[in-house]
Amino acid sequence: MVATEKLFINNNDIKLEAEYFESSSDTTSAVIICHPQPQIN
Amino acid sequence: MWNNVVSEIFKMFIENNVSCLRFNFRGVGESTGSHSSGKGELSDVKACIDFLINKKGIQKITISGYSYGAAIGCSAVNYSEKVVGFIAISFVWDYMGFKYKKLSQTNKPKLFIQGNKDDIAFYSKFFEHYEFYENPKDYKIIDGADHFYWGYETQVVQELLKFYKSIV
Repeated sequence: MVATEKLFINNNDIKLEAEYFESSSDTTSAVIICHPQPQIN
Repeated sequence: MWNNVVSEIFKMFIENNVSCLRFNFRGVGESTGSHSSGKGELSDVKACIDFLINKKGIQKITISGYSYGAAIGCSAVNYSEKVVGFIAISFVWDYMGFKYKKLSQTNKPKLFIQGNKDDIAFYSKFFEHYEFYENPKDYKIIDGADHFYWGYETQVVQELLKFYKSIV
């Protein structure tokens, strides 16, 4: 079972629901994944 | 926070021990605020970039996005020198207008993934848009895939991983 961190990212007055996985071998590179149409959850 | 393409990408990066962040744009799921036709969503991507740099100490960020997420996410490519490139899956140029095409122009490495049955991000216009971009760039056509990539998710994520490993 891999642990991910569920969190909120602040963007001024907006809080963005997010999920982050941190690599155990490379902690200096990361990918951001952006969802399709905003109404799709 | 579920979509078949995004979920497969997230899972694939985890399986390959690559740090990754997925998020809901404003007004979606448990994110607060409301949809703002792109402007606010672009700032959401920038907030995620700032988060990775300032809170997680990330030095190299690759942006990946699917459909609307490609148009918005890839438009933040020049926001920080720590963003090293992008991967766009079915970039909806014809729905989003020239603004996002222009914002996503960059001399950083980029990969475009496109289904040849896609009639939302029109395959018929793909190469016209692709030619607009500076090098370095590459593309992968997923034969038989429409905009939703059902049954083609594995092919998509394999192309993503290959490209990611080539630039990081």
